[in-house]
Amino acid sequence: MTLFGRLTWGSIPFNEPIPLITSLVMMLAIAAIAFWVWRKGWWPYLWSEYITSPDHKRIGVMYIVLGLLMFVRGFADAIMMRAQQSLAIGASQGYLPPEHYNQIFSAHGTIMIFFVAMPLVIGFMNFVVPLQLGVRDVAFPTMNNVSFWLTASGALLVNLSLFLGEFARTGWLAFPPLSEKAFSPGVGVDYYLVALQISGVGTVLTGVNFVTTILKIRAPGMSYLRMPVFCWTALASNLLIIAAFPVLTVSLALLMLDRYLGFHFFTNDGGGNSMLYMNLIWVWGHPEVYILVLPAFGIYSEVAATFSGKPLFGYRSMVFATLFICIVSFCVWLHHFFTMGAGANVNAVFGIASMIIGIPTGVKIYNWLFTMYGGRLRFNVPVYYLIGFMLLFVGGGLTGVLLAIPPVDFITHNTLFLVAHFHHVIIPGVVFAIFAGYHYWFPKAFGFTLDERLGKAVFWCWFIGFNLAFMPLYVLGFWGGTRRLQHISDPSWAPWLHVAFLGAAIIGLGLALTVVQLLYSIKTRDRRMDVTGDPWDGRTLEWLTLSPPPHYNFAVLPDVHGEEAYWTRKQTAIKQDQLIKEPDYQPIEMPVNTPTGVIVAFFASVCGFAIIWYIWWLAILGLIGAFAIFVWYAWRDEHEHIIPVEEVRANARERRRIRMEHLHQLSQSV
Amino acid sequence: MTSEAASIGLTHGGSEDTGLGHRGPESKSIVVPYGFWLFVLSDMVLFSALFATYATLTHATDGGPTALELFSRKLVAVETIALLMSSFVCGLAIITAKRSNMLWTQVWLLLTGLLGAVFLFIELYEFGSMIAEGAGPQRSAFLSAFFTLVGCHGAHVTAGLLWLGTMMAQIWAKGFKQHILRRLLCFSIFWHALDIIWVAIFTIVYLIGTLP
Amino acid sequence: MTEDETDLIDVAPGAPHNNIMSEVVAYVIGLALALILTGIAFWVASTSALWGPGIATGLVVLAIAQMGVHLVFFLHITSGPDNTNNVLALAFGVLIVFLVMVGTIWIMSHMNANMMAGPEITNLQMQH
Repeated sequence: MTLFGRLTWGSIPFNEPIPLITSLVMMLAIAAIAFWVWRKGWWPYLWSEYITSPDHKRIGVMYIVLGLLMFVRGFADAIMMRAQQSLAIGASQGYLPPEHYNQIFSAHGTIMIFFVAMPLVIGFMNFVVPLQLGVRDVAFPTMNNVSFWLTASGALLVNLSLFLGEFARTGWLAFPPLSEKAFSPGVGVDYYLVALQISGVGTVLTGVNFVTTILKIRAPGMSYLRMPVFCWTALASNLLIIAAFPVLTVSLALLMLDRYLGFHFFTNDGGGNSMLYMNLIWVWGHPEVYILVLPAFGIYSEVAATFSGKPLFGYRSMVFATLFICIVSFCVWLHHFFTMGAGANVNAVFGIASMIIGIPTGVKIYNWLFTMYGGRLRFNVPVYYLIGFMLLFVGGGLTGVLLAIPPVDFITHNTLFLVAHFHHVIIPGVVFAIFAGYHYWFPKAFGFTLDERLGKAVFWCWFIGFNLAFMPLYVLGFWGGTRRLQHISDPSWAPWLHVAFLGAAIIGLGLALTVVQLLYSIKTRDRRMDVTGDPWDGRTLEWLTLSPPPHYNFAVLPDVHGEEAYWTRKQTAIKQDQLIKEPDYQPIEMPVNTPTGVIVAFFASVCGFAIIWYIWWLAILGLIGAFAIFVWYAWRDEHEHIIPVEEVRANARERRRIRMEHLHQLSQSV
Repeated sequence: MTSEAASIGLTHGGSEDTGLGHRGPESKSIVVPYGFWLFVLSDMVLFSALFATYATLTHATDGGPTALELFSRKLVAVETIALLMSSFVCGLAIITAKRSNMLWTQVWLLLTGLLGAVFLFIELYEFGSMIAEGAGPQRSAFLSAFFTLVGCHGAHVTAGLLWLGTMMAQIWAKGFKQHILRRLLCFSIFWHALDIIWVAIFTIVYLIGTLP
Repeated sequence: MTEDETDLIDVAPGAPHNNIMSEVVAYVIGLALALILTGIAFWVASTSALWGPGIATGLVVLAIAQMGVHLVFFLHITSGPDNTNNVLALAFGVLIVFLVMVGTIWIMSHMNANMMAGPEITNLQMQH
């Protein structure tokens, strides 16, 4: 073994123009941005205000930035696939050979689930939950920072595979025996496994952090049934994270043991059982999609109530439905492999459970509907996404119920029908919610709202683009089109695939417009400043603060007297034309910044990279480094710094002054 | 509203019984161990996946050695007693640590570590002799599952011993500060949880696995 | 957040909260019970005095009992109102463990019965 394991100059894809050029462009872009930031003198600010920050709001923003950046990469993979399938029909072979195409669809799924959807959802939970609970931060702020950087480390490794080596060709779940060493000897599957293991640790820590926060750290008077619905969905999602991610860790670890140490869990010989992998990974895989969609439902609940000007309809049934989905999502996983051969009885039980799980979601749809009914709906951008979701998601859910019937699934399993189904639920379900949440909470994070017109344009691109891109796939699925095809032999499919490609292009336009919208909104922000901190006439506690809130969120933790804590407080203030009595200000203890997270992630990346390329001495060094920084962190004596009472008082009085002004304006117009 | 809440300085106007949460945020001495308890439960789920794997692959011996041929109940009995005693003295260490008794805390923690090391030594010996006679984890799926399940537990014990050593050093250097006591409590939760998992292992793998 | 050592409103898992004698006694009782249950388990596994197929079940019951001893005497998980969150978390964990283990075993035994290769193929594979 050489000093660099199996890493050689040949690992750089000199003979593959697409990954080579893409990675060079990416590296150039990163270098250019880093240089520009340095020239502007922003690095010290970024270091102390974001990178080492234990503040949940800053960590939330970092997660969302990571997710949005990776969205570009995931979308690039998507449009490449659509282009290939549009071109490679009949005699033509398209422009992507199978070895390359297979990496692209694997990367697309892996990136979209693990490095786009998860970071975005976790980012929103990070930013919003402590504010809605009326507290200063999560239970374990430093661990929160570490979680983010471990996720980023995983994202880094996946992107590194573009430049050094290759990515997995085995789909986003890397099924054996194909993913075993005998059939995938290269580094691709190892990149996949190591990246996911590292970011998986971060995710489990997030789960622990948020369940602890929601159960143990809430404002005085906020009992469980006074929490906003978004916090309930965050609780359910994080309970699922704690329950499911260890099973993912085991599944991937067993595959790693097979590949690295010659074990026989899933090999064809030695008694291995590759069906066991399918079972274990889907035990994780099904709760995973609920981890993503439950907070999305929470975002819709907040948007529906706020923009209808009414309390959410059926709060208790929402809570019950959420918890029901949480538990039952652990009882349906076999529906991902009905065709693997467990037999009719087993299939029937899981099929019925899969249909039952659709019921509480139906309850939620009715609750959102009745929330809007009788209210005065304001058609801001988040409401566009809410209505788009309600129209489209029902269809996706119904195709899910169809797939839950085992005999139907025997025909549609792993066809384009399935691909259409899961995009049909995840795009209107999760992606639309992310865009809704992005518009809804952007002013809270940055002090100004986004441009509405461009926002609506982005929505229409998504709505039209999504339908064009995925409805044809249902048809092709029924016609026998399997998923992951690099070449299409039936020329009659061509028009459908062309329409799908057009849809993808329109989505691409939407993504481009999102960037334009952000830049334009920043440039013209003076026209849309969020002066009061409550731009939407909100109902939950995050709108009590100014935008952006101070690090400590609230000068004094708000007393909660009923559901919709902020709304009742606001209405009382409006009626009495005065704010509540000024409280007794105290100095506030807040956690200090720490570089632990980014340094641990650095060593994790080094160790991970070394494991992938068989550079054993470097792997050991990386492990020792990670352990050492952990001990160094544990040895510190200064955990917190004190914010002096004068600062607290000054900020609070400024907020009260602004609110009093706003109050006078309101009561004059009433 | 309870009198405790008033004494901590949290007041609010409501008179209805709002159940858990009416007091405001809990203190760190509650929050930290609770979070760690959740982490331990996630670890239990991890082991359940390994147990499920082991159960599935118990008979996948590929014509190679079986549980009945390989496992020695005597060794397992000694391991079990060692780990159980280790758990017990760990509990004593928590009691003396709460009373800030440096000498006895270090004594009990040292004993915890030594008994844990005895456990590990026997386990490594067992693994070594199995590998030497050709019954290593690469021999069959059953053996892969065995080495991974029991080995994962052993790896947790090893990590625990590293943690224990660090705790002993920290207590020595910094005394019985609040955050050190919290960490020690977390360690003891971890250590007891490992013993719980060992109960499952010796029952399922070594006893049931070697029934005639 | 206050650091109140006498805060008995909620109890951390594993935190003893009585006087020193009763704390030590709790651990001693736990140790004794665990030793007894372990001893019985080893005896049950090697005796021919019990009906064969029932032995495995008996061992599982003994294991669960011993886990309970550990939870109560070493980890101080009780049913008091101050322990509710701890018990709920434990219940959730137990549910997931149950679903994962029973679900996997049920599914995989069916898969193996229906799908695993017959002896001819297995023999071929073994000739490596």
